[in-house]
Amino acid sequence: MKQKTDVLSGTLALMVLKTLEVMGPQHGWGIARRIEQISGDLLAVNQGTLYPLLLKLEHEGSIASEWGASDNNRRARFYRLTAAGRKQLQAETRYWELSAAIIARFFTVKAEDLT
Amino acid sequence: MRALRRFMIRLGNFATGHSPDQRLREEIAEHLALQTEANLRAGMSLAEARRQAAIKLGGVEAIRRRQHDEAGLPWLENLLSDLKYALRLTRKNPGFTAVAVLTLALGIAANTTVLSWVSATLWNPIPGAAHTSDLLTIMRGNRTDNPTPPFSFPDLLDLSRRTRTFSGLLGYHHDYMSLTGVARPERIYGALTTANYFDLLGVHPVLGRAFLPREGAPHAGAAVVVIGYGVWQHHFGGDPSIIGKAIQINRHPYTVVGVAPRDFTGSAPGLREELWIPLPMDRDVWGFNRPDYRGIFWLNVLGRLRPGVTRAQAQTELNLLMQGIAERFPEDHRNSPNAISLDPLWRSPFGINGYLYKTLPMLLALAAVLLLLACANVASLLLVRSVERRREMAIRLGMGASRPAIIRQFVIESLLLGLLGGTAALVITEWTSRGIAAFVPPSSLPLTLGAHVDQRVLFATIAVSILAAIIIGILPALRSSRLPVQSVLKEEAASVSLTWHKSRLLSGLVVAQIALSLVLLVCAGLFTRSLRKARQADPGFEADHVLLASYELSPAGYTRATGAAFDRQVLDRLAALPGVESATLADFSPLSFSLHTDYLQVQGYVPQPHESMEISRAIVGPNYFRTLRTALMAGREFTAADTAESQPVAVVNQAFADRYWPGANPLGQQVTDGGERFTVVGVAGNARYRFLTLPPEPVIYLPDAQSYSPTHDTIIHLRTTGDPRTVAASLEIAIHQLNPDLPLFNVNPLPVTMQLGTLFGRAAATFAGSFGLLAMLLAAVGLYGVVAYSTRQRTREIGIRMALGARKGAVYRLLLGQGFRLTLAGLVVGAVLAGAFTRLLKAQLYGVSDTDMLTFVSVGLLLAAVALLACHIPARRAARVDPMVALRHQ
Repeated sequence: MKQKTDVLSGTLALMVLKTLEVMGPQHGWGIARRIEQISGDLLAVNQGTLYPLLLKLEHEGSIASEWGASDNNRRARFYRLTAAGRKQLQAETRYWELSAAIIARFFTVKAEDLT
Repeated sequence: MRALRRFMIRLGNFATGHSPDQRLREEIAEHLALQTEANLRAGMSLAEARRQAAIKLGGVEAIRRRQHDEAGLPWLENLLSDLKYALRLTRKNPGFTAVAVLTLALGIAANTTVLSWVSATLWNPIPGAAHTSDLLTIMRGNRTDNPTPPFSFPDLLDLSRRTRTFSGLLGYHHDYMSLTGVARPERIYGALTTANYFDLLGVHPVLGRAFLPREGAPHAGAAVVVIGYGVWQHHFGGDPSIIGKAIQINRHPYTVVGVAPRDFTGSAPGLREELWIPLPMDRDVWGFNRPDYRGIFWLNVLGRLRPGVTRAQAQTELNLLMQGIAERFPEDHRNSPNAISLDPLWRSPFGINGYLYKTLPMLLALAAVLLLLACANVASLLLVRSVERRREMAIRLGMGASRPAIIRQFVIESLLLGLLGGTAALVITEWTSRGIAAFVPPSSLPLTLGAHVDQRVLFATIAVSILAAIIIGILPALRSSRLPVQSVLKEEAASVSLTWHKSRLLSGLVVAQIALSLVLLVCAGLFTRSLRKARQADPGFEADHVLLASYELSPAGYTRATGAAFDRQVLDRLAALPGVESATLADFSPLSFSLHTDYLQVQGYVPQPHESMEISRAIVGPNYFRTLRTALMAGREFTAADTAESQPVAVVNQAFADRYWPGANPLGQQVTDGGERFTVVGVAGNARYRFLTLPPEPVIYLPDAQSYSPTHDTIIHLRTTGDPRTVAASLEIAIHQLNPDLPLFNVNPLPVTMQLGTLFGRAAATFAGSFGLLAMLLAAVGLYGVVAYSTRQRTREIGIRMALGARKGAVYRLLLGQGFRLTLAGLVVGAVLAGAFTRLLKAQLYGVSDTDMLTFVSVGLLLAAVALLACHIPARRAARVDPMVALRHQ
């Protein structure tokens, strides 16, 4: 069970980075909504867990944040991808594609292919 | 890289106390507002929209907690708060802290003291030399307790030229020299060395240079000297322009080419050399031509292994080379063993490590046992306290503290105690590390045993402290973290106590303490008895009432003829002194490692191939046996009539006669030494001159008038009627009337200088003894503490028993019986442990079996008596308690 959540929190970071790459600077709610739209119920509850993750990514230098004005002109914290984050995203994308391809091949293999 | 960046930011936040809490609050408020708006757009009522937004966000407190943990370093924060708590606890119970810290400090200090000696000797055999682990002592023949230098200069040169496993071999011969041409001639221990001596050791002179190859070339050499730092400071005032100046050694001039570094004391562990001269100068320094002879074995040899070569490979190679040399020069090698053995310096047979490498590890084992006992002692204290803190721990667990958190709290408390103990131990060690020097009596040997707290000892202390902390902390930690929370919280104080006194763990710790202290006491008892046996052993001479004093004639300008005449005058003058029964001279004194050996040919004895004929040879004056009260079994001893002109005569001891002329009459047999034939005229009883604990070896005595050598010390032996010290002053006056400029040194009663012969026995007995007493004290305190605590806990029970009619005596017996059962169990376990442990000491014991019944029984009785006393005090106090007071006790 624990392992599963670890995997999910790892993928969550990747989703955040990808969201920021596609949509440009976003505030927390924007990121959460976007992820919810794409991944279904993965982040349906506990959107709040996003904020410690954002802080961690910021500490790691993958994203940066600053205050700005939201659509209705209230103060909101906006997150954007940094150059380092872009590089990290590219590397992790490659890794995920590779892993996914291997696992996909593995799942499609039939008994007669192995003899 | 990313992880490091994250760590640095978190560390920064932690240090500055920066928290992103305010920012999170604002973000969450905005998040909720945006989500509520979205929900409203989806058609919810305002209340429902807010509710759904909050549900979707999740628990705000949990988010804040996680945000906080991400911002800072939670483990460091917890560690600090645990440490703060532990510090508060230590301060709150100063008595408990003091006892625990002191106990640990004694246990740790015992270990670090021995380690400081190990560090100064076995770990650092040649101070100032580089990579001593690659250096090996090269020995011919089997290892003995009394090795003689094994190589001749031509053999060493052949080996150095051919070896491929060593990057170099160095040779040296050390003995006393005299610094002459200064205001007061001074004896200095110096060495003749091969030219590569300093380079191979990796020692760089602080001033000037080491020897050049041509300065040590065979048959050539140069009159140059490297002086020790101490000589440079004391005799030449640290003169910076000393290089190139000439100094006089044994009345010959030498040019100073270098000054050795301050900590360098030569290549024999534990001996201090202060001058180094190239080997070919032997003729000038000591008047011999030893470097020219292949058959004179007088050099100690060290080699530096090439990288990647094993000791076994080197040994195989040197054996082959040595065999080749022995086959080419059979005459020179017939009577000495040619098999090579290699020893790392920590157990080099030359120098002090040859003895210490057995003694120190054993002392370390004893110290480890003491530390284990101290840990058991403190662990039982902590355990008692952890029971008192059961409620606190149960509340913590109930409030959601995790098991690791509880264990961490205990471990930090014990770490604090351990490190405090370690710090105190360092202070103690700073003082006790010098203790080893206190065992060395005044002697003619230039012993240097400078142990102190160095870096290695410091690290070892920290490591040992942490280890001790883990040992003492782990038991109470594991116990407390497994508390059944609800039942503890429901417990009344009284019911705690009722289950308490049955604690197997605490009883186990008490049993362990008694057992370990019995082990140490048995060792102490065995060593003490062994030392006493050695002292009571008949050495073959009577040491009491003998005064020794030394002088050296060669540096004072005496020749063979004038020296012999001077010795006669001295003897005549001294024999006439009031209070002197008889007087004699010798070139050695018993049991101070000063007996020389010589290569002898024994008439009628055919040595085994490669049997060593290096035999102990004593040069003595007339009346030697009468003065030392050594029995004469047959024939006569030397008299004033044995002169350089009369027939050369010798006395051998019984061991000599039995070994070389078994069954034959030794009188009239002949022995050749240095080309001179001596006829045996007397047989003396065996005397032990090297160790009291080793069987007597063959010794030959030659009269000083017939084998006179002015280069060695002359040691006066006086048998006095009263206290020998009272004669010292008149002795000095008498000598100075004959020659006012002749320095007289080492003026000491024989029993004092003999202490050197029992050095290791005394060190072992003293340390095992003090460890044993300390152990007994700790065990007694431990037992007292546990019995006292358990009686305090049982006060109510005792009150009930007494109210129901139990007599004081019965209560007393009940409590005493509890302590006594533990003691008995400890004694049984201890006896088994001690039986196994003392087997290790077998080789170190003399005249006592390692399972000596008397020691085991008497030590066991002593410990039982002390343990009973420790139980008696709290038991009596409890038995006297007023039942009414006891019943009201909480």
